[in-house]
Amino acid sequence: MAQKMMVSVKFLGMQRVVTKKDSVNIPITGEMTVKDILEFVKNLYPDLTLDEEMLFVTVNQEKASLDRLLSADDTVSFLPHISGG
Amino acid sequence: MEILKQIRYEPAQVTGGYTDQLLEIDLSKLQITIQDLSPDFKNKYIGGRGYALKLIWDGTSRETRYDSPENILVMASGPLGNEPSFPGTGKFIVGTISPLTDTFIDSNVGGHFGPLLKLAGFDALAVSGIASADSVIVIDGDLRTISIIAAPAYDKEIDEGSLSFGKRLLEDINDGEYSDSLAAVTTGKGACNARFGIINSLFFDRKRNRIRAKQAGRGGTGTVMRTKGLRGIVVHSSLSKANGNNAVDKEGVRRAGSRLREVISKADPKQLHLSAWGTTILSEYMNKFHLFPINNYQYGQSSESPKLFAGVFLDRYFTKNMPDGCYYGCNLACSKSSENVELTRGPYAGQKVSIDGPEYETVGAVSCMGIFDPHFVLEYNWYCDEYGLDTISTGTTIAFFMECFERGFLTADDIGYKLTFGNMDAVDRLLHEIANAKGFGKVAGQGVARGKKWVAEKYAARNGISQDAALVELSKFAMEVKGLEFSMYVTKESLAQQGGYGFALKGPQHDESWLIFIDQIHKELPTFEDKANALKWFPLIRTWFNATGLCKLPWIDVRNPEAANTDEPAKNLPTLAYYVDYFNATTGSNKTLKDILDDSERLYILQKLINLRHGKGTRVSDQIPLRAMGPVYFNEYESRAEYYDGWLREQLGDSEVPAAPEKKHELLVKKRIEAYQQLCDIVYEEKGFSSDGIPKRETVEKFGLLDEQAGKLLQGFGM
Repeated sequence: MAQKMMVSVKFLGMQRVVTKKDSVNIPITGEMTVKDILEFVKNLYPDLTLDEEMLFVTVNQEKASLDRLLSADDTVSFLPHISGG
Repeated sequence: MEILKQIRYEPAQVTGGYTDQLLEIDLSKLQITIQDLSPDFKNKYIGGRGYALKLIWDGTSRETRYDSPENILVMASGPLGNEPSFPGTGKFIVGTISPLTDTFIDSNVGGHFGPLLKLAGFDALAVSGIASADSVIVIDGDLRTISIIAAPAYDKEIDEGSLSFGKRLLEDINDGEYSDSLAAVTTGKGACNARFGIINSLFFDRKRNRIRAKQAGRGGTGTVMRTKGLRGIVVHSSLSKANGNNAVDKEGVRRAGSRLREVISKADPKQLHLSAWGTTILSEYMNKFHLFPINNYQYGQSSESPKLFAGVFLDRYFTKNMPDGCYYGCNLACSKSSENVELTRGPYAGQKVSIDGPEYETVGAVSCMGIFDPHFVLEYNWYCDEYGLDTISTGTTIAFFMECFERGFLTADDIGYKLTFGNMDAVDRLLHEIANAKGFGKVAGQGVARGKKWVAEKYAARNGISQDAALVELSKFAMEVKGLEFSMYVTKESLAQQGGYGFALKGPQHDESWLIFIDQIHKELPTFEDKANALKWFPLIRTWFNATGLCKLPWIDVRNPEAANTDEPAKNLPTLAYYVDYFNATTGSNKTLKDILDDSERLYILQKLINLRHGKGTRVSDQIPLRAMGPVYFNEYESRAEYYDGWLREQLGDSEVPAAPEKKHELLVKKRIEAYQQLCDIVYEEKGFSSDGIPKRETVEKFGLLDEQAGKLLQGFGM
């Protein structure tokens, strides 16, 4: 039986408070994008305030677009914009 | 109270954001003078930092040092300070010649002092001279008097503390009651004994029913204040704060403020959530991207860092669900506070105190010393504030000496004990020694730039090498530029932010530019030209905030959703448009963003001229320690070897990267040094400077700054 492909979504800051988790593993199939994962997480945690236009996405610590295709074991973060006070 | 000098005056009314009055006080002569400021003065120098720069340019000379009687301590808000219908208008600037950098320093600080000074009739206060005995200045807009009084003596404990003395003073002057019609600035005994003394800005918070404090932290402004024999300044005005600027277009002000408030209320809870966490939220994000300073900036990430994340402070210390603005009308309200914290260390162990903070920078200062204990952060925060010490410079300085000890440049005999990373007892001891000028604290209180020379002398004598050779080695990890200690960001992987710190006119403080994310993470500045453009644009707009009496956070740390549809989202131009509208509505002008940047550039060039005059204005003064560019020692390289090797391959191609790790490290350092020099060349060109970092004559002339002094100065540099 083929092993499921998974990606990990890391929760930081207020996201961790809402989800009460450091991360969640999400199975991916076929050609799934960051946007698909974002929608999945929003459905899983409706209290999370994840607004596309206010987010900065990284995949494996590198900047990524919402239409980026995901691979097995990728780590996704949905971050706020930070400009340093 | 013993009045040494008093005058009566008629407070000028604020019109269009200005009173057009300058209050000058000479403590040596006990002279109080009120000067009219011409329309040309405000048009050219805006307010805040601009006023401080002009007063210091005209009123001091290249020989002026922080403790010279002619040094001027300037405090000024700006035309946009004091407007409760617009967020973030409680800021004012403290500017002077710094004991750390020996050139102009300014530090911006929140609270009620700046707004109340304006309501009491003054756009700026300039204090010169040195008092013959400790004094306090009282500016009372209600009684219409300005007084220099002998500093009251309460008891030793109160008199030595900045917070304690300020609270008692505010109570005393108002017949035993606190009021939000009064505010004060004070500093403590630490500022007498260290070069990095701060000024606390104290104000009454009705919600908390106590005096709170914000800090003008950088560059030793508190040290200058104490050197002048000035223990405190109190300002009093019970005029209404609403429409405090008497704006030309009140509806325009209301509209601009309403738009900004709406963006903050919608966007902040979906972004950094500063209203809940304060700036401590940054620790987690900095740690994630290797930007959180650990062990004197050797590392940017630690498995222990989560002990210092915002959630810990929120759970254990911060008052929850209480908006904590430092001035009325700010719905970002990021100024978090911790109540009833029991001190476990130091002379006040056992006492419960209220602590205004911690802010991110204080958290970073503690991790920089290798300590990951949140309660220690709180205690460190309180003691620094009470003593009147900068949490940033204190932490960076102690971290430097820790590394000196660990690498064998200093011994336990030199210090008096083992000063190792993570050693809370040692830091606790040294903090109190600095404040009291005892033991090794006398050395540490001088800061990193002077401290490294002291270490070089000791080390050279012990090891039979030249002091110069020792100094070269120490300078690689002595985290200062121009004499100011670094603030709390690891810059190794962001060339743009290396420039952000190196070119910063006051020294490596991030309020001039913070480009790490757009450079290192967003990768929006791929070329040297892109970086140079950002290194010109951001310091100019940030300078404008410091000239107008505004807090930058509602602009820079709350991204307007509409910015996503612009070419340069990081500039957050849709929000900046509200600020331009606010300026025009307040003052009745009709400026564009371009005009504002031009106005700001005049101030930037003037500050550069002061730096030139004081020997801190050329290329050599913009050089940063190697630690800011990359891994100085092999242990740093090893900690991220895979990353660094990838960086080398990306720069040079596989075939050019040597096999031996030591050789890779060597090559990496060489490449980083070359890149910084190339950046210097391109940035100077972009700013209209010579290759030695000196403003070209036409650049100075363009902004109407080519007076006799500037002409001679430039001539001296062959320009």
